[in-house]
This record gives sequence, structure tokens and C-alpha cells, in this order.
Amino acid sequence: MTHGLSLPLLLRRSLFHRRSRSLAELVALTVSAAVATALLTLYASLDLKLHHQFRAFGANIVITSQNQSGSTDSSAALPADALAIARAAAGPESRVVPFAYAVAEMQDGSSIVVVGADLNGVRAMDSWWQVSRWPDLNTPSEHALDSGGQVPLQVLTGVRAEKALGATRFPLSYSGRTVQLETAGTLRTGDAEDSRIYLPLSAFEAWTGVSPTTLEIRAAGNTQQIQEVLARLRQALPGADVHAVHQLVEAEANVVSRTRSLMLSSLLLISLTVAICVLATLTASVFERRRDFAVMKALGATQHQVGLLFFLEAIALALAGVVCGYVLGCGIAYLIGEWNFHTIIFPVWRIVPQVALLNLLVAILAAAVPLRILRRLEPAALLRGD
Amino acid sequence: MHGAKKPMLSRLVIESFLRQRRRKLLACVAILLGATAVTAMLAIGTSVGDKMNHELAAYGANIVVYPAADTLDVQVGGIDIRPATAGNYLNEADLAKIKNIFWRNNVENISPELPLPVSLKTRDGVRQVPATGYWFHHTLRSGNESWTMGAPALHPWWRIAGAWPDDGSRDEIAIGNELARTLHVRVGDTVQVNNASLRVTGIISSGDATDRTLLVPLAVAQQWLGRPGAVRRAYVSALTKPEDALARKDPDKLSPKMRDRWYCSPYANSIAYQIEETLPHTRAEQIRRIAQGEGTILSRISGLMWLVALAALFAAGLAVAASMTTAIVERRQEIGLMRALGATRGVIAALFFAEIALLALGGGLLGFLLGSLLAGRIGQEVFGSSIAFNPTILPATLLLAIVVSLAGGAPSVWQAMRMEPAAILREEA
Repeated sequence: MTHGLSLPLLLRRSLFHRRSRSLAELVALTVSAAVATALLTLYASLDLKLHHQFRAFGANIVITSQNQSGSTDSSAALPADALAIARAAAGPESRVVPFAYAVAEMQDGSSIVVVGADLNGVRAMDSWWQVSRWPDLNTPSEHALDSGGQVPLQVLTGVRAEKALGATRFPLSYSGRTVQLETAGTLRTGDAEDSRIYLPLSAFEAWTGVSPTTLEIRAAGNTQQIQEVLARLRQALPGADVHAVHQLVEAEANVVSRTRSLMLSSLLLISLTVAICVLATLTASVFERRRDFAVMKALGATQHQVGLLFFLEAIALALAGVVCGYVLGCGIAYLIGEWNFHTIIFPVWRIVPQVALLNLLVAILAAAVPLRILRRLEPAALLRGD
Repeated sequence: MHGAKKPMLSRLVIESFLRQRRRKLLACVAILLGATAVTAMLAIGTSVGDKMNHELAAYGANIVVYPAADTLDVQVGGIDIRPATAGNYLNEADLAKIKNIFWRNNVENISPELPLPVSLKTRDGVRQVPATGYWFHHTLRSGNESWTMGAPALHPWWRIAGAWPDDGSRDEIAIGNELARTLHVRVGDTVQVNNASLRVTGIISSGDATDRTLLVPLAVAQQWLGRPGAVRRAYVSALTKPEDALARKDPDKLSPKMRDRWYCSPYANSIAYQIEETLPHTRAEQIRRIAQGEGTILSRISGLMWLVALAALFAAGLAVAASMTTAIVERRQEIGLMRALGATRGVIAALFFAEIALLALGGGLLGFLLGSLLAGRIGQEVFGSSIAFNPTILPATLLLAIVVSLAGGAPSVWQAMRMEPAAILREEA
């Protein structure tokens, strides 16, 4: 090879001379990078997206006062500032909802559980609650308590409780104090809530004098982040019993890890398939250009030089493929996020090296096979045809 | 070539198929791998919903059954403080009937509960503590079949130090870890409950109210209560279909046809309805917290796996098309030679397409087998249970392999036929 024909120049000429062939290779390597980008982006965001879906199950941490252990008395209240402390410790992304319980008496003397709760918080956290109508929280409930039963207090009544009460307006008494309540809406959950009556916390406290005994917390994030919130809460509220809802946390960790494994297997399988596509394209390229290579060899280029040129070409195309493929792959991941999770999946920058490495690996491996064909090329035999 | 066209053509196809195997290697590998990937991803896509459903079903019941004429639950902090004598009970013997409903095979577990307060003798005197009667590893029989059901399977997050009490025993008990701590009780100790001596076989840590209770075999709780066969409520874990618009309908207001569809879909609501039909005087309700959440999670995960399967389909199609192009480009001389020898374009096209179809059929079949094996293996690794061999995927895989291979090969075949035979042949090395 003469000095005039340097390697970069050769590379440039080779890449731009037959544009359609280079384009085919570029398309194959772009597809391979795009698939890798989309799957790796999904894989990286999967944790967050799936944990986000588990919000639907409600609270994953429960705080109760500690001195109720071993007894059936659960009326021990949490410290007055527990709610504020828990909110601060759980972080702004977590939701903390206070609950206070009392066992009130119906007119016939039988017991019913009455719960005072932050109903707005409940509504946001417990999405599975089927409520016909939420009580209007804007009417001052204190007024209802002071009116001597003229204006009944608006409450949420569980379906079983409603049947037992038999009326939408009813009196309930707690330690000698009777109030008039009215069902604003019915509640159905299929669980213990169906037997209860829910009312706003402030009205509940004004009536019964019972303060919150339980804080339910929906901590955001993955299993590790939930453990961190748990540790912070335990430190902030040493006198309380802070525990994770094992049923939920374990199910969540289990499902997320399994989905991740599935995604990883799919990623490997699809990458392998795409690698075959690149291999086929590069082989076709070598085959179409065997006479170019024969000419180079006839002009004195060594096996190494021809090989190097071909490799550099593959690498240049692979890198160009990474740029195009990354953009395309992020778009695909975005669309999948929109369709499936109804949230946006943002591009993940830290996967760029992985995508680049994967694409280079695919290109180099794919180039190695056709190069074996090149090595066997007899320049004379090939050129004789002309 | 004209006289014996058909035998000649088939001989040509076979000859051409068997010779020059190296050149066809890449196309073979591409079809094989593509079919494997597509089969495996389709198998995973179709079964991931079921598998995840199983995973989630293990984490809690989605239906609760209780007597229709029951008094209200007085449950605070997970502990029922209703007087044990109040209210109605289910009959333990009736629970086996749940395995007779239309969707009986979807019922994975039934766990009855009988809570009652008991007097426990401690160092400081007698104390009232909550206790609950459970099935632990109860054998439920219906007809010729039998299943092992009970609380441990329904609460996989309960950890036990020691062993679960035997369902048939009268003197075995398990104890929640908080209660055990305050009483200083260890596994193997004896506790005095309701004037009976019971041996502690295990200590449970659950992270919920169960940590503060005693757990006894159901029969023991029934004996203490003086009501043989009584059950306060039963939790049922069933495999269900995520709720859709139809599931929320009231079956009694649907048209007969729609009602049948509702009845024959495994919604939590329809399974609850069937339980109520089988067990008169009971109420069965879906536990919305579990049922609603499961639906969302399941549809997201299966949606994701279907999209990934689609990506696999696309990648496989591209790989097969690209390798077909390569295979035909490498065989341009053959086409030139045949044309020079007077073969018509139709014959050449028939020859090549027959060969491609044969290759696709073989590769697709082998790929289907490999993909099924792979899916089974992945299922084993990820879920601990194999993904069942699904023959319905075979036609899809084969059709796809043939169509994609033909589509991939066609442009190159046409291109080679349009070229001058002389020009192609001159390239011959």
C-alpha cells in the first residue's frame, strides 16, 4: 500500500463507496443497539415501575404503640407528635395515615368498631375501597357534635355495619356520650372494614377523646428503600412498634425479582438473535466485496491489513449504530412505558457503556466469521474472471 | 427439463438442499435461533400471567367466607374481641364443598379460623389471651381427591421456629413470638391453657397481630368453645382473572347469555358467588385489597412480557431475512448457471422457494422443540415450576418461519434472476 492511501482514507472510501451495503450494515447494528437499549432501559426502570404498581396494595409499614403486646387492649395511644415525626422520617414520597379505634355501642347494646381516620389520606392510599360516596369533609364536624344531635355527623359505613344498623341515621354511644351519625356513603372491602364505621379524625377525637393508635404508611421505593424507611422510623419512634407488612413486602420482592429474571433471560435470547442478524449482514458484505479484497491482496496488502480494515469498518459502523440505536431504543422504551405502565420511562444514561460494549462485541464477533472466508480467498482465482 | 418437470424439480430441490451445506449453515442457524426465541418468548408470554398469579395467590386469600346471619366483626388491630358465643358459625364439614364448585380447580387453599379468648396460666396468675383455631396441614377430601390445606400455606410470610402443631393432636400448640417473649416460653415448654396442658411445638413470627396470639388445631378450639365443627370464617385463595367491566356486573341483572359468560369466568366475584350457591346461609366476599391489586400487577407484567415477545419476534424476523439474503447472494452463480442452461424464471423461483420453505419448516420445527425446552428451563429457574409444553405455539412458529424466510429470500432471488447470466458467471471464482 502506498503512503497516499492511508488507513483512515481507505476506511472512509470503503464506507462511503457502496452506500447501500454500508447502510444495510448500519441498519443491522442500529437495530442491535436499539433492542439492547430498549431492553436494558426497561430492565433498569423495571424495579421502580413495578414497585410503583404495588402501591395498589396500600400500606406496607404499620406503627402501633408498643404496650399493647400480649393483651387485647389496643387503645394505648401513640405520642401526640408521632404523626409529625413519622411524616418527617418517612420522607415526602411516603404517605402516612393516622387511625384511631374505639368500640362503641349501638342502640340494642351490641358492639361496633368506630374508626377515626384521615379520610383524604385513606382515599389516596387504599384505592381498593369501594365507596358509594365519601363524606363531605368541608362541613365542620365540631358543629355537628355541639348541635345536640340536630345536625348528624356524616360518616362512612361498612356494608355489614349498615345492615346491622338498619337505618342511615342512628345514634352511637361511647363511654356514656351519645352522638347522632348519618351514613354519607357505604364502604365495601370484603375485610374487617365492612363491619366498621369511619369518620374524620377530628370529629372522632372530639367525640371519644381517643387519640390515634395506629399509623399506616405507604413507603415509596424498592425493598431496600422500604427497609431504610423502616430503620429511620424505628430510630425516630423508639417507644412505638414499627413493623413491615410482611405479606406485602415479601410478595412484592418476590414478584419483582422474578420479573427481572424473566426480563434478563429475554434480553439474552433476543441479543443472540440480533447478533445472528448482524453476522448475516456482515457475511453478505464480505461476500459482495471479495473482489475488492482480492485486489487489495494482489496489490500487496497483507492478511492483517485487509482484516484490520474490515474490523475497523465494523467498529465504526457499530459505534454509529450505538448512537442511532440509543435514540431509537429510548423511544421504544418510552412507548412501552406509556402503553404498559402508563408512566414515562426516561432514558437511562448509565446503560450507554453497556450498549456500546454489547454492540462492539456483536460487531467484532460477527466480523470474525466472514474474515475466515476472506483468508481463504485466492486473489488470482478470483480476479481471473475479469 | 420439460418432460419430467415435477420429479426433476423435486430431485433438484433435494439435491440442492443436501449439497453446499456450509453456505446454508447461517440461514439454518438463523431460522433455528429465531424459531427458538419466538417459541420461548411466546411460551413465557402466554404463561407468565398464570405463574405470577400463583405467586400472588400464595400471598394471602382473595375471598372470605362467613355466615350470612353473623353479628358484626369487632376486630381491632387484627384481633377479634367479639364475645366468642356471639354470632353464627360455619360448619367445618361444609368447607370441602368449596372444592365442588364450577371453578374448583382454581381454589388453591382454604383456611378456616375460629378465634376465641382463652385463659392462660402465667407466673403472675391467669391471663386472658386471644387464641385462634386453624388447620395447619389438614387433608381435605372430596370424592376421590384430597388436598393438603391450611394456614401455613396461606401465610408464607409466617416464619416458624420449631414445627406446626399436628392437626389431629389435642395437646399441641404454637405461640406468637411477642406473646412467647412476654411469657418466657420456648419450644418444647408446656403451657396451661383453659386448665389443659399443651406442649409448645413452634414459635411464630408473622409481623402482624398473630404474634400476640396462641395458635391451636381447629378441633382444640372447637372443644374449648364447646361447639364441635364450628368455624368463624374461612379464607379462600383462588386463582382469578383480573377484574374487567363484566366482572363488576351484578349477575342477577345480566341477560342469560352474559350471565353464563360471567359465571364461567374465574373472577373473584364469580367464584365467591359459586361458593354462596354451594354453601347456603353463607356470604362469600372478594377481599378487594388483594383482588384489586393482583389484577393491576398481573396485567402490567403480562403486558410487559408480550411486548418483549413482540421484540423477539421482530428480531427473529430480521435475523432470518438478513441471513436469507446472504444465503441467496452467495448462490447467485447457481442461478446464473441455471438460467444459462435454459431454466425458466418460474422453475428457478419454485426451486429456491421450495428449498427455503423446506429449510424453514425443518428449522422451525427444531426451533420449536428447543424453544419449548428453553421456556421450560427458564420457568424452572425463575418460578421453580416448568412452563408446560404448548403445542398451540407450533403453527404460529412454523408459519412465521416460512413467511419470514420467503420474504427475506425473495428480493435476492428476484435480483439474481434479473441479472444477466453471463455477468454473474463471469464473477465465478
